[in-house]
Order: sequence, then C-alpha cells, then structure tokens
Amino acid sequence: MSLFSFVSIGNADVNFAGKTVTWVVPFKEGGGTSRFARFIQPFLKKYLPGNPDVQIMHIPGGGAIKGSNYFEKNAKADGTFIFGCSTSVIVNVATGNPLVKYNLSEYRPVVLLPQNTHWFTRSDLAEPHDLSKIKERKLVLYALKTPASADLFHIWIYEKLGIKGAKPIPGLSSSGGYQAFLRGEIHLSSHGAANYVKKVKPEIEKGKVVDLMTLGIIGADGSVSRNPLAPNAPTFPEMYEKVNGKKLEGDDLEAYYAIGAAWSQASKAMMLPAGASDEIVKAYRDAAIKMTNDPEFKAKAVKALGPFPLIIGEEAGEIIKKAAVFSDTTKKQLNAALKKHKFTYRVQ
Amino acid sequence: MEQLLAALFQLFEPTHLAFLFAGTLLGLIVGILPGMGGTSGLALVLPFVFTMEPSHALAMMIGVLAPTTTSDTFPAVLMGVPGTAGSQATVMDGFPLSKKGMAARALSAAFSASLLGGIFGAFILSISIYYAIPIIMAFGFGEQFLLVVLALLMVGALTGDNLFKGIASCFLGLIIGSIGTAPITGDPRYTFNTLYLLEGVPLVVVGLGLFAIPEIVGLLDSKGSIAKSLNTKKGWFTGLKDVVKNWFLVLRCSTLGCLVGALPGLGGTVVDWIAYSHLKQTTKDTSQFGKGDIRGVIAPESANNAKEGGALIPTLIFGIPGSGNKVLLLGGFVLIGIEPGLDMVTTNLDLTYLMIWSLAIANILGAGICMGFSSQISKFTLVPYYILAPVMVCLIFFATFNINRDWYDFIGLLSFGIIGITFKNFGWSRPALLIGFFLSSKVELLSYQTQAVYGLSFLSRPVSIILIILCLATIVLLTKQKFDSNYRSDLIKGKLTQIYYIVILLCLPLSMIWFTSSLDYRANLFPISLSVIALSLLVFILIIKIADLKNLSFLNNTFMRFARSNIFEISGNFNNQLFYYFSFIGFLLMNFIFGFPIAAALFINIFILFHNRKAYVSSICISAVLMVILWSLSSLLTLQFPNGLIGLLIDLPWWLGGQLN
Repeated sequence: MSLFSFVSIGNADVNFAGKTVTWVVPFKEGGGTSRFARFIQPFLKKYLPGNPDVQIMHIPGGGAIKGSNYFEKNAKADGTFIFGCSTSVIVNVATGNPLVKYNLSEYRPVVLLPQNTHWFTRSDLAEPHDLSKIKERKLVLYALKTPASADLFHIWIYEKLGIKGAKPIPGLSSSGGYQAFLRGEIHLSSHGAANYVKKVKPEIEKGKVVDLMTLGIIGADGSVSRNPLAPNAPTFPEMYEKVNGKKLEGDDLEAYYAIGAAWSQASKAMMLPAGASDEIVKAYRDAAIKMTNDPEFKAKAVKALGPFPLIIGEEAGEIIKKAAVFSDTTKKQLNAALKKHKFTYRVQ
Repeated sequence: MEQLLAALFQLFEPTHLAFLFAGTLLGLIVGILPGMGGTSGLALVLPFVFTMEPSHALAMMIGVLAPTTTSDTFPAVLMGVPGTAGSQATVMDGFPLSKKGMAARALSAAFSASLLGGIFGAFILSISIYYAIPIIMAFGFGEQFLLVVLALLMVGALTGDNLFKGIASCFLGLIIGSIGTAPITGDPRYTFNTLYLLEGVPLVVVGLGLFAIPEIVGLLDSKGSIAKSLNTKKGWFTGLKDVVKNWFLVLRCSTLGCLVGALPGLGGTVVDWIAYSHLKQTTKDTSQFGKGDIRGVIAPESANNAKEGGALIPTLIFGIPGSGNKVLLLGGFVLIGIEPGLDMVTTNLDLTYLMIWSLAIANILGAGICMGFSSQISKFTLVPYYILAPVMVCLIFFATFNINRDWYDFIGLLSFGIIGITFKNFGWSRPALLIGFFLSSKVELLSYQTQAVYGLSFLSRPVSIILIILCLATIVLLTKQKFDSNYRSDLIKGKLTQIYYIVILLCLPLSMIWFTSSLDYRANLFPISLSVIALSLLVFILIIKIADLKNLSFLNNTFMRFARSNIFEISGNFNNQLFYYFSFIGFLLMNFIFGFPIAAALFINIFILFHNRKAYVSSICISAVLMVILWSLSSLLTLQFPNGLIGLLIDLPWWLGGQLN
C-alpha cells in the first residue's frame, strides 16, 4: 500500500450532503465490475464529504456499450454520477467499435484496480516457464471467447512468441476453456489472478499443470516486474526476449504497453464524467485514499479485489489514455494477427 | 460432508429462509393457477433476483421451482384440470376421487407422495454430485455436442402433439436463438442494424411471452372461476395411510421420476404418464384405474416431484436444461454469475449444496403449507379469472420492463406472446421452441469446437455411441406410448387458418437465409443449415396437412398415419383469445401514454368492470393493493416504472412513473 503515501487535505467546497450518487455499471449484477462497485460502495458513502447515498445502477447490454452510452448522455458532471469501467469498456473504444458514443479518454478516473493474466499448460506438454516444446507442436489449441474483446490480445501474444501452431477455439469462456484444458482438449490456457489462485494453483501443486508466464506488472515508470502470485514465472517481456533473442522494444513494446494498460492496469475502474471539476475529482480521490487506509478495507480488500494495490491519482488518467487510444502501429499489429487467423473482425 | 452441513446452516439464516419461503409461496401460487407453472413463475422473479446475493437468489429460485408440482394437485383433483404439465396423469384418478367426495383423501395422499418424492430427488442429486467430476471429465466437446443435439431431438419428439411439429418447433427455436451477433466472427445476423436484436431477445421476455401470456388468455377464454365447489374437509388421515401402505410404489415411482428427469431434454412433461403406466403394468387389479384409485394419484405425484432433483443433474453439470423451467433457472445462473459445469462440483460446491437443501426444504414447506392451509388455499381456486388476469398482466409488464428498462422488451414480450398463443392453439411445442432458443448458441459453438478438436472422429468415441443408442431407444419407446391415441382429425374446425399459419412460419427460415447469405460462411453456415432443415420439415408438415384436409389416399399406410396424428390441433376459441391479446396491446399503449402506475390502475379497473360491472369495490381495492406492493418493491430494489409520454411533459414524482432521483 506504499502507493498512497501522499497526504490528503480536506476539501470544504465540495459537499454531497443529502445527495445521491448514481454509480452506472454497464454490466449485469454479479459480474466482476458489479462486485468491484459493490465492495467500494459503502466506503464511498463513508468517506465522501457529506456522506451521500451511493446507488449502483446496472445497465447491461450491447457488450457494455448500452450502459456506457447511457452514462455519456445522462451523467451530470457535479459528482453525483460515477462510472464503473472495465477492460471491455476500454477495448470497445480502443478497437474503434462504431456503436461507441462515449468519450472515455476525457473521463476523470478516480481509482483503477489492476489485474494480471497467468498463462500455463499441462505438465506433459512443457517444462515450467519454458515454451520450447510448445513451439515445436503442430497444433496448439487455446480458448478465445470472441476476437471483438480483450481476448484478441491472446492472438497478438502468441504471435509475438512465435507459437506457430496456435489455433483459437472460438466461443469458450475462460471457465469453459479451463474445463476443456483440464479434459486435455486444449493445450494452452490462461486465467486472471483470482481464478489462478482458486483453480489453477491446486492443479500446479498436484503436478498436473505448469506455469508458463504472466503478463507482468507495469509500473508508473514503464518498468515491468514479476507477479507476486507466481514470482518464479517470467513476465511477457522476459519470455519475449528469451524466445526472440532481443529485448522487447519499438512497436512491439508500444503495443505491449497499450495492451497492458487496457488488460491489466485498468482492469476495473471508477471514473467521473468528462468535465468534472478538479475539486470534485480531488474530493473523490481523497475519499479513495481514506478508504484504502480503513482497517475494514485492509482486512477484506485482498480477498475481494485481489492482491494488486489500487492506482489512485494523476497516473490513472495517463493509463486510461494509453489504454483507450491505440496507436496506428499497434492497430496494424493486432489486425495482422487477426488476418493471419482468418478473422473477419478488424480493429478500426 | 462438512460443506454439506455448512450449506444447511447457511440456509437456516433468517434471510435465506425468508427468500426460500417467499419463493415457495410464489411457487405454490403459480402451481395452483392452471397452466402457469415453474417457467412462468421463474420468469416473473428473474428480473428481480439479480440484485440479490447469489445464495439468496438461488434459494428463491429453487423455492419457486420445487412446490409447483405439489400445489398443482389442487386444480387437478378439484376441477380435473392439471395445474402444470406434470400433473396431467394425476387428473385420471384424482378427479374421480374428488367427484366421489374423497377430495381430501386424494389431496393428502398427493401431498405426502409429493413430499417424499421431492426429498428422494434431492437425496439422489446430492449423491450424484459426488460422481460428477469423472462424468464431466469424460464429456468433451464432441460428447457435449451430441448430448445437446439429442436432448433437443427428444424434447421436440416428445413435447409436441405431433412428432414432426415438435421437431420443427425445436428448429424454429434454434433459428430464433441464432439472431444476434455471430459468435465466431462477430457479424450481426438478422438484426436490421438495431442494438436490441444484436444482443438477441432476453430469455425472460421469451419465457414470459411463450408461457405466461398464452395461459392467461387461454384461461380468460375458458371464462368463469377456476373451481365450482369445494369439499376438502374429511379424509386427510386416510390419504396419509394410503401413502404409507404404498411406500414401495412411492419408492419405485420416485426412482423412475429421478431417472427420467435426469435424461437431458426429457425432464418433466412425460414423467407423470410414465409413472402412471408403470403403475398399470405392475398392478394385478386394474379395474379401478380411471375411476378413482388412490394409487393413480400417488404414482404420478411422487414421480413428478422426484424428477426435479434428477433434472437438476444435467442442468448443473452440463448446463443442459431438461424442461422450460430449467431454461429459466439457467438464465438465472447467468444473471447471478454462476456457470454450470465443473465449478458447480468444485469451487462452487457450497452453492450446489445450498440448492440441494433448498430443494428438500422447499418441498417440505410446500407440502406442509398445502396440507395445513388446504381449505384456505383451495378457496384461491374460486377467484374469478377476470380478476387474476389483469393483475398478472401488470406483474408481467413490470417484470419485463425491469430486465433492461427497455421499451423494446414489451414489443418482444407481445411478439412472443402471439407466437405462444398460436403455438398452444395449433398444437406446436412451446417447450421445444424455448429450449431450442436457449441452446442455439451452445449448439453453434459446440459444433465449431468439436470440429476444431476432433473433426468427425468424435462419433466413434465410446460415450458418443452409448449416447446415440440411449437416445434412439428412448424416442422409439416413448413415441410408441404417446402416439397411440385416438386422434380424430374430422372434429377440428378452422383447418385453413392452420395451413396459412405454416405459410407465415415459412417466412422465418426463408428471410433468415435471405438476410444472412451475404455474410462470411462462418457466420451464416449455422443459421442457413438450420433454416434448410426447418424449411423441409415445415413443407413436409404442410403437405400432410393439405393431404389430410383433402383426405388424399396416400395417407393410408403406417408411416403416414403416424405422421398425420395430431397434425391439426385446436384448443379453445382462438378468436376469443386474440381479443384478449389485443387488450394487452391496449395496455401497452396506455403505458406509453400515461406511464406504468396510472396505466396499471386504469387497466385493472377497466378489465374487471368490463367483465362484471358490479365489482368496482374489488377492482379499486385490488389495483390499490397491487400499486402499494409495486411501490414498496421498487423502492426496496431501486426499480423504475416505465415512463409514459405524460411523464416527459410534466415532472411526475417517481411513484407515478417519473425519473428516480
């Protein structure tokens, strides 16, 4: 929790007493973003000036586009509206979905909740942390829900690691994909941190599954460190260097940062609409910092939100911009990978 | 074992018990209303459960499901009308018993048999959970694909009045289910560039439209109150003694119910008949059957409650629903973020146990309430339907709006409503349509996944071969039993309407082919193949219908006689039902103008007064009570009422349909 070392100053100008804050979540109840919002909700009420009621409004549909567009159209910038963002909301923007009407890169992020992806395979297919046997295989099947989602990044990752046999099996959720992996039907699989701990760790301990790598944790200065949940597993940049014999740099590094920002750093986020004043943003950030120091939050956060500390402050805005606006070279790279696997879908 | 007990203790927390109890009450009520069953009941609660914690939501959903097959005995015994599809066989002996003045004996025997069957089902379910992991591991993409396809075929073959109409219903459901984003390429299919169709129609809308609306108009059409007179005073103890005496029959029928329920795709609609015919085959003296033999009540009732536990097995471990209500249950799983499969017997085992206990306790609660308050509950069947119907329509509209707060959902509801009404009247299969709709994306994905991993070799894997044999055997055995009825085509009127109806149905596959033909082959292969199959089935049915109408001679062989049975079907007065259906459209227009609260109050009063001018006291009271219930519900769950045109012009308070905040 060393990230929140700066001291907060109370702000007398902003007061939400007697007001209701509406938190728009563009997903169904029970999903990850909803759980994130529901966990934060009571702390927000406790620490926002004037202790406003915070109500969560779920507007699922259209791959998160419906709720996000609703927020863009209806949110007031006076601090009574906040937005529950997630990787898919960002990917909709980054990949240029024509139905998107929300201007995400102008939003004012308050809190980001990072995530990390783990890759693993069966122990009879490879040594731990070693891709060489996988690369020799003619056919390496993996799960891919749809290319119009963050899963698209898998295609790019396997492409950059030179896994020639990689072939996506469409329409598999991560849970369904993991089941097929355990049945021996697919060869490579991945999970986020929470499910990694819950489902994959036991299989690793039984010796059935071995770690391959993690996406890596990207710091504010761009440095990449290993994931504390699997400290021995190399990060993607390390694996890239080992496989390709050169450091991850140039266009590939740029794409990695963009993917990392969307997929990992801004996995879940709480945002104020564009046009929210600095005072309001500050009041929210102060409340978030107080929240992270709350003993109850400290006791429950790791179980509810995962092991990675929240990102609060100016840094969050930079990450969202990086995640939401892909450069042309990054788009070109992603589209090349899509084309190679005969997908008709393209990043715009 | 520890988890098993932990789940029991969790369930006995007051909040869990309260949700379970609320669900059970609702389940009892929808069970009593003839035709309304678990499917409609679940569709009504789904829009609200997803604001709850998963364990609460599960307790409530199971609470709704479990007792419907207990309370459906009231109308079956008292009036000779099955309360749900699962109690059709109960009517055979239950109603004669009631006519002989032994209603109480029949009811108490039925409730205690239901109770025992239900608990037996929960017990079998909890045992089978222990053996589920190897089964799940043995079912790869290929086996799952076969399982789903075979389940669909079985539903189609067995729930329709006519084999071919049943299977065609299935394919129509599959086609409707393929509307939306193509899963492989992301192309929009048949969406006409609307965001609404891009997502596909919400399951709850389809469920309410197909099941609740046709039943409401059907009952309005049948007029009058549900029951004429009641005599449920004496004989409770005799009924209990009957069950104790026939304990072995209860055990046999419960086992049978569990087994049939566990066959994916079969759960529910035929199990009472199977139990009944098992009883007939194993009894020496069959002279009293159909005239009021108490065993004729005990056998189907124990079987139809035991099937719930059995039917949950494929639902939980494969996500394959055995009946309409399991489709809605799976829809509920999605809403609260539970994925069926391996997780249910590993990481989410606590939730599975919670469901098992809920099932057992809801059965005890349901049977207990039915016995303890039987005279009060049976009075419920005296309420005239013109009073119940508008209230239910308001509830359905309220539930529908709260799925997505989207006006398009009303259009979806009424569209599926008219599909449901015509399907019900003309003898097509609504369960097959619903299950096809629900499983469509699963079938499509599994076919790609199977192809990618196995090619065609999956057909020669041992589990696949067993599955195919099992399925063929079931269909042959059960269709023989089902289609030996004395069908009289010459009694049916309005055959031309039904022929025109097929022509309308033909438009769906034809337009699907037309609109998707320009897409990538990975996006249109599935809908086009389905459409081609559906087209050939529909054309075949059309030919038989025309041949039947003209009485052509080529129908006189065994196969054609079989294909011809129940080819025309009519229930009730179709025009009457259309009239009531149009009154619902009127209600929608009122909503559009006045907003929901005013429209609902108006609709209830107009509807009741139209049927009975003198009933203004009750109409005002009922609309007032309903509004109070809806207001408290909406403030509790932060729900919003549909906002009408008036609400846009004048700033209304929220309880009249204005904006929240």
